Parts: sequence; structure tokens; C-alpha cells
Amino acid sequence: MTKEKKCCLIIIIYFKVQAIRQKIKIFKNFIRKESDVKLVSVVKSMTLQGLEGVLVNVEVDVSGGMPAWNVVGLPDTAIKESKERIRTAIKNCNVELLSRKYIVNLSPADIRKEGAGLDLAIAVATLISIEKIKDFNTKDVIFLGELSLDAKIKKINGILPIALEAKKYGIKRIVLPAENAKEASVVDGIEVIGVNTLEEVIKYLNGDIHIEPTRVDINGLFAKNSEDSFDFSEVKGQESIKRALEIAAAGRA
Amino acid sequence: MARRITSILPDLSFEEALEISKIHSVAGKIGNDTLINKRPFRSPHHTISTTGLIGGGSFPKPGEISLSHFGVLFLDELPEFNKKTIEVLRGPLEDREVTISRANATYSYPCNFMLVASMNPCPCGFYGSPDKECTCTERQRSLYRGRISGPILDRIDIQVEVPNVKYEKLEGKAGESSNIIKERVNKAREIQLNRYKGLNIYSNADLTPKMIDIVCKLSEPSKIILKKSFEKLKLSARAYSRILKVARTIADLDGQKDIQSTHIIEAIGYRSLDRKE
Repeated sequence: MTKEKKCCLIIIIYFKVQAIRQKIKIFKNFIRKESDVKLVSVVKSMTLQGLEGVLVNVEVDVSGGMPAWNVVGLPDTAIKESKERIRTAIKNCNVELLSRKYIVNLSPADIRKEGAGLDLAIAVATLISIEKIKDFNTKDVIFLGELSLDAKIKKINGILPIALEAKKYGIKRIVLPAENAKEASVVDGIEVIGVNTLEEVIKYLNGDIHIEPTRVDINGLFAKNSEDSFDFSEVKGQESIKRALEIAAAGRA
Repeated sequence: MARRITSILPDLSFEEALEISKIHSVAGKIGNDTLINKRPFRSPHHTISTTGLIGGGSFPKPGEISLSHFGVLFLDELPEFNKKTIEVLRGPLEDREVTISRANATYSYPCNFMLVASMNPCPCGFYGSPDKECTCTERQRSLYRGRISGPILDRIDIQVEVPNVKYEKLEGKAGESSNIIKERVNKAREIQLNRYKGLNIYSNADLTPKMIDIVCKLSEPSKIILKKSFEKLKLSARAYSRILKVARTIADLDGQKDIQSTHIIEAIGYRSLDRKE
């Protein structure tokens, strides 16, 4: 091969690379133009650290690009798996989830989040991002609940401490699984909305239906101090141990 | 018998009920109740693991001691428990809180419980019985008792031997009902609450060493009794303060302002396992 030929080849390769780069650029622009939603939505939820609640901001960003669903912000396995649950649940309430790049961020990012309780919040944030839920102010509301594939909302553990902590953070309303509603309503001064399906949540947040907040008669519940089924009158003899137990009961908190 | 203790404990306050419900809610044990308004009674089987007892897991969940917060933890057949499992109770029994650290997180759960435990005097169960002879060897007996360490025994305020019930008693009339006992208990606790007002102490069990000196003043004869039994039984410093606390409680139940010598004698009597060692 002569020197000239070599030079020619290099120049040709250079132009080809330039051409490919140009094509990629055009393709990228095309995708970006097509994406009609570029919204970051933020929805609040809560996770527990022992008995302490930590307010979690669930942020969802939808953008063009390679279709993907990424969860960042120290999620545990249950939350990472939530991707499949949420996508299927959204699909099963007749909402089309476009092929886009979805990024879910759970902040604060340095605290490890556990459990499936954030499912509902992620789903709601996603639906706001793709504008299936409109004009809803999520400022004083937290969302809790696990989603099943058929879009039902299932109960989660630790609702009572979460509700108590939420009140401290100034949260006014909690949207949670209907099964947990009574437990949370023990906390005074917070509106508890029990929901059964994701569809119901969409309708409620869009203002299509009204859900009455759950209330319980706290005094009644507490006063219902049912009689113990065991009584010392059934115990015959054994006075020494009865006396010991009485002293123990009298001296201990 | 142990199950009935919750029936004589004072009623819960709303805050206490809320705290119990919180722990049960985190453990997923609240079921259909919205609020747990009864003092919990937990009696785990003796095959329980350390984690099951004090809590744990990669995201630590509350264990049995936290689930019996403000209630009773009953350990039936104490020597049958894994020795290590019992030993982990040392800290929580004193601190009323357990801090569990794992790679992922460090959580604290409250565990203000009353520990009630039962055991046999020996493997065959007849040692010291007037009716039947024990078939165990001395070594077997000491091994059996040795499964419960001194530090744990030290932390048990009241130890009583339970004799077999005689047939006549079984036929006899029923004993006092729980409500009557509870009334006495409530009265004694009221005395304590008034005495410790503003001191952040709620019962005799919470007394600090400094407070013991102030509220558990002994008369001269009582002091002599305590000194003699202390030397004879070789009691520990911890046992000493516990005897005083128990004596204080007995005096409160009696409605007495000062601890009498009968109270201190009864309190010493509740260290029956110390005497055996």
C-alpha cells in the first residue's frame, strides 16, 4: 500500500465517523422531540427506622431515551422489585405507560428504605409525571401501601408509628390501604383516607370521587378494656406465690 | 398462674397503649385490633433464639422483650432455655431499652417489661418436696441450677418456692379475685407516685441508689437483721438494693410510712435462690 492510499483511507474513515455521529444526533433529537412529558413529580411517603419515621420524597422523572425504569436512593430488594408490581398495576388500571425512561429517586438518598410500603407513592408520582393525575397538590399528603399486580392496595406494617410521626412533620392527610385505615385513625388531627385500588386513588386525586376520611371513637376503643379472661380467684391455695406476684405488680412500672 | 399477673397490673394509660400498639404495628402483630388496650403477656417457647427474644434481622425488628413492653414476659422452664439466650437479657433488664445494630441500621426499641420465670428445683422436679424423694444426684442438681447464671439471678427481685398444693386446698373455696388484689396494687402505686412526684421516678423499681438512701430508711433492729443475713447469705451489692426496694414496696402495700422489720424479713425471704447457692 502506498502512502497516498493510506492517507485516503484515513480521510474516508474520518468522514464516515462524522456521518454516523450526525445521524446519532438527529436520532436523539427526534426522540426528544417526541417525548411530550418532561416533568419531575414529587410525592411524599414515609419509611420507618425502628420506631422513628423518616419522610421520604419520591421523585419520578420521565424523559426520552432508551426505555428503562431505574430506582435510585438506597432501596432494598423489595423496593427494587416494586418496578414490576407498579408497571403491571398501572397497566391493569387501563392507563397506558409509555415506553420512556423513568427514573425514580427516593430522597434522602443516604437512608436505606425497606419494604413495599412505598409502592403507592411511586405509582402516584409516576401517574402525575405522565399527567394521568392532574392539578393535585401533594404537599401535605403522604401515600403508603403495597400494590398487587391487579392494582389492589394491600396493607403494610408499622402504620401507627408512621401516622404518629407524620403528624409531627405537619402532614395533614394520609392515603393508605383501607385495611390499615382504622389503625391510623387512632392518631388525632390527621385525615385518613382508606383506599382499595389504584384506580380509586386516581379518581380520588382527580376529584372524580369523594372518599370519606376514616374516623374511630378513640375513647370508646380505649374504654373497651375487656375483662381479663384469667382471674386469680380460679387459683386455689398457693398463697405465697400470689403474695409475691402482688408485690411485683405493686413495685414495677 | 403467671398469665394472671396482667389482671392485677394497673390499667394502661392512653400513651402507654399507644406505645405498645406502635411496637406491635411494626412487628405486624396488631391484627384486627386498632389499639392494644391490654397489657401484653408473652410466653415464648424455650427453643426461642437470641434474635427472637431481643429482636434483630438485617432491618432489626422488635423481639419478644419489646413485644412485652409494659406487660409481662413469661419464660417457663427457665433452665431449658439456651444459656446464651437468657444472658442477653442482662442489659435490657437494666436499661429497659434494647439497641440493635446491624450493617444496615441501628434501631432502638423500648422493652420495659416484667420478667416472670419458672423452673423446677432439679431435673426430676422433687428436690425439697416433703412427699416424694428426689432421684437426682448432687451433680445433676448443681448442673441444672448452674444453667442460670448469678448475674441473671441477681436481677430477679423476687424468688419464691412454690410447694405442691394439698388436696384440701383444691377442694376449698376460691381465692381472692383479681379485682380486689388490683385495688391494693393501685393503692400502693398511688403512694409511690405521690412520693416520687417530679423526680422522673414512677415506681419503686425505678429507684436510683441515691433515692434508695432517702426513701428506704431502716430502723436500728432492721439494720441488724439485714446486716446479719447479708453476711450469712453472702448477698451481692445488687441484691442489697433490691431487697430494700422490695421491702419498700411491701411497706407501701401495708400502707406504712417507714419500712418495718417484718417488711425487711419478708423481702430477704424472697431471695430464696441466693440462699441455695
